[in-house]
Amino acid sequence: MAAEDSAVLSARGISVRFGGLHALDEVDLEVAAGRVTGLIGPNGAGKTTLFNVLGGLLEPVAGSVHLGGADITTWPPHRRGRAGMARTFQRLELFTGMTVEENLTASWEAAHPGAIFGRGRPTRKQRVAEMMELLGLERIAGRTAGELPTGLGRMVELGRALCADPRVLLLDEPSSGLDVGETQHFARILRQLVAEAPHNGHDAGQPLAILLVEHDMALVMEVCHVITVLDFGRRIACGSPDQIQGDPAVRAAYLGETDVA
Amino acid sequence: MSTFWPLVVIGLFTGSIYGLGALGLVLTYKTTGVFNFAFGAVAMFCAFVYWQIHDTWHWTAWISIPLLLLVVAPLIGYLFELLFRPLSGLAAEVPIVVSLALLALLEVGAQLIWGGQERGFETIIPTSSFKFGSFYVGWDQLGTLIIAFMAGGFLWWLLRHTRFGMSTRAVVDNRDLAAIIGVSGDNVRRFAWMVSSTFAALLGILLTHSQELTTYNLVLVVLVSFAPAVMGRNESFPWAFGGALGLGVFTSVLHRWSTSGTVANIEAAVPWFLLFIFLIVLGGRLKEPGLSVRPMAVATGTLSTGDMEHMSARPRIQRAVALGVGAFAVAAVLPTVVPGPQVSVLTYGALWALMAVTLVVLTGWAGQISIAQVSFVGVGAFAVGHWAGAHGQNFVPAALAGMAIAVPLGLIVGIPSLRLRGLYLALATLAFALIMDYVVFNSVGISGGLTGILDHRPRIFGVSFASTTSMYELSLGVLGVVLAITFALRQGPIGRRLRILRDSPLAASTLGVNLTVTKLVTFAVCGVVAAMAGALYGSYLQSITPINFQFGLSVQLLLLVVFAGRSVLTGAVVAGVLAMIPALIVSLIGGGTIGANVGNWITLAVAVGVIGLGRNPEGTVSLSIQEAKRTLSVMRPRPRRYLGLGSPLAPERLEVSSGG
Ligand SMILES: Nc1ncnc2c1ncn2[C@@H]1O[C@H](COP(=O)(O)OP(=O)(O)OP(=O)(O)O)[C@@H](O)[C@H]1O
Ligand SMILES: [Mg+2]
Repeated sequence: MAAEDSAVLSARGISVRFGGLHALDEVDLEVAAGRVTGLIGPNGAGKTTLFNVLGGLLEPVAGSVHLGGADITTWPPHRRGRAGMARTFQRLELFTGMTVEENLTASWEAAHPGAIFGRGRPTRKQRVAEMMELLGLERIAGRTAGELPTGLGRMVELGRALCADPRVLLLDEPSSGLDVGETQHFARILRQLVAEAPHNGHDAGQPLAILLVEHDMALVMEVCHVITVLDFGRRIACGSPDQIQGDPAVRAAYLGETDVA
Repeated sequence: MSTFWPLVVIGLFTGSIYGLGALGLVLTYKTTGVFNFAFGAVAMFCAFVYWQIHDTWHWTAWISIPLLLLVVAPLIGYLFELLFRPLSGLAAEVPIVVSLALLALLEVGAQLIWGGQERGFETIIPTSSFKFGSFYVGWDQLGTLIIAFMAGGFLWWLLRHTRFGMSTRAVVDNRDLAAIIGVSGDNVRRFAWMVSSTFAALLGILLTHSQELTTYNLVLVVLVSFAPAVMGRNESFPWAFGGALGLGVFTSVLHRWSTSGTVANIEAAVPWFLLFIFLIVLGGRLKEPGLSVRPMAVATGTLSTGDMEHMSARPRIQRAVALGVGAFAVAAVLPTVVPGPQVSVLTYGALWALMAVTLVVLTGWAGQISIAQVSFVGVGAFAVGHWAGAHGQNFVPAALAGMAIAVPLGLIVGIPSLRLRGLYLALATLAFALIMDYVVFNSVGISGGLTGILDHRPRIFGVSFASTTSMYELSLGVLGVVLAITFALRQGPIGRRLRILRDSPLAASTLGVNLTVTKLVTFAVCGVVAAMAGALYGSYLQSITPINFQFGLSVQLLLLVVFAGRSVLTGAVVAGVLAMIPALIVSLIGGGTIGANVGNWITLAVAVGVIGLGRNPEGTVSLSIQEAKRTLSVMRPRPRRYLGLGSPLAPERLEVSSGG
């Protein structure tokens, strides 16, 4: 299938250097609507670095990023956020002093600056309530986010990202810190999100696109439609879960490592 | 030629003094992550101790100098280490505020012990001079230079060729690794504090050659070392020392053009201009170890299990509104039962509370630390002083003008915040406050110099507020309106926008928040409201001088707010109450010897309180609310939610899993 045609978010030839270290070396990536795209690789492969480039937190030395046809390479993070990109963080970045509900509300408000006053209020309440229900957060709506255990914190971060009504969702190791049951719950939600009827956010009609960085291989193989593999800042493979599992280069670089371990 | 070189040489002398300070500052910052705002205060305190031992008790210099450098100063350093040790790993704001509290503590401590007046000082090096080429050099100047270089050399030797140096480098590079190979971080840090403190003492006694020995002046002079320390990015000793020499030469050469008045004022502010610009330019390249830790510290709160956490917001808001309205009503009828002088004191408290509100919003909610808030108060006060007219008839336009001036100033202080937070933002705002002190408030045209200018009680739309009671009512009214507005804002989108800025600017920006605009607007608005407070404060005081708005008062305001509770509006009110206690006591018992020192004692108490709060940077108000909740939840029967509402995500379960 032609992934490029339906790509909502695409990166081409991205290179990032930290001093002498080539954290990313001409990496290409496409994220398509209605799909969960996996991004995997051993520790230090450059996955988070690529996220930071996509989100505008890090400027690449080469390459370009496109979102829905627009070249957003030089856009600041908040502009990308408003254009429909939302993310979670490997190290939790919750609004620790606020309640769970406020975390989601603040996110909705940040993404809909025009609708803060008056008219937007019912929509906001409804959206936040929907998200809390979807993720099972109603029972902890009034708890301070900073007091939550990691697993729940990840759920709140996911909810917060979703409340921004994104068209692309970037998830950085969302399952770390979750127990088996929570991970299952999480996988269900992911599938539901991409399969769901068009939501009411940006260009309604297109389902959500998800980019997932994950170390839990079972989860990756289960939910991802396409997978890109990074190793030492290079893209070494890209394909369906089956192709990736059979790829010798990936085995050598990545799965081989886990075999040894 | 003939005038240039002498100026360079003199510049090297003064520069070497700053260099000594910069070395001491970098040493503790590198090893402990604490930037010691109290460094100048330690220098001052040690100079006074020396004065006590040597000039009052007449011990010989051969005993008093070693006693000071090898016993007194290291002891102070030791105590500092004890105070700061439990704070490591906390948000950057905590050590900043604690070291500011130590600054206040030592300053008022010295005033209480030795009084505020200037002290004569027997110099340790002869002040006679010798001819060097075409100009004269004082022995004391040369001596200072030599001692500074020797101290620098000693530090170099210590770090390069001793076990301490090796351990220090190990600890600085990687704390955990150092612990594994058996280097004790605690020992290294303790030793660093002691050495740094000795440097401060040395600086103190050297400075008394060129400076008047007053508590305020000495601290101010040593503050200049902050600039070169930052030039060395707080990590490089040679750069810090070199930067200090460069700064000394630069200011000294500038001296050539200085006469007096405005030029001299600007010249005195040069280190602060440089520091401010430096901070903006270096921006993100300044690394702050504390910042890898969660910013600000709500997260340190304990898990609260009381019902109130789960109570929906509405009753909580209703109760807060009821309490607020009740308190306001009580405050409003106070003048009928309280005599005039005390009503005046209450006005003072209300206006300090008003200033404190702006700091609560800026620092407590938005997480932007500021040591410059009282400078904005000054802008409003002087605007009214100049433009309100003899009967205060133009009070409103004058106040509005002052508030308008505060807008660009607020934007200027806001600029460093775009790339800096925590320590470096604090330093930038400090630099701004000192620039305002030197360039604006010291300018005779604006402030009328030391004697100050007269300010006028307002007349608004024909209504005069000249009487004590009416001034109180006006101040209280404005405070009430501002509190009501900020309270309403906190519950809504704007309050949330500010709080996400504090909790995670990173996440906020990825969600679509324009950090640049949000921060600049916040600084500007808080500056404008502070200027409004200043307009009232000036006309309340009726006579204002630069001393009313010195940076030291910004420090005091910050300490009061932090002590009371920086992220709740109640904290601002409590800060106002604390601020008026000294005046209240004086008005009750009359001036006299006790009265004269009451202000110092209160400052001392607040400083001790802030230091004592340490791990609870949310302040006493939040602490007492937490305590009250805990007591209530213990007294109550078991919460209802235990009855059959079990679910996988029930809070009871969460606490178990969070423990693991
Ligand atoms: N700010 C930085 N400065 C210097 N080096 C960095 C920086 N951020 C990341 N790196 C380095 O770049 C490489 C890629 O890091 P990155 O965090 O992107 O890896 P990752 O694939 O996300 O790894 P993990 O699975 O552990 O999260 C690593 O070698 C890391 O040490
Ligand atoms: Mg990563």
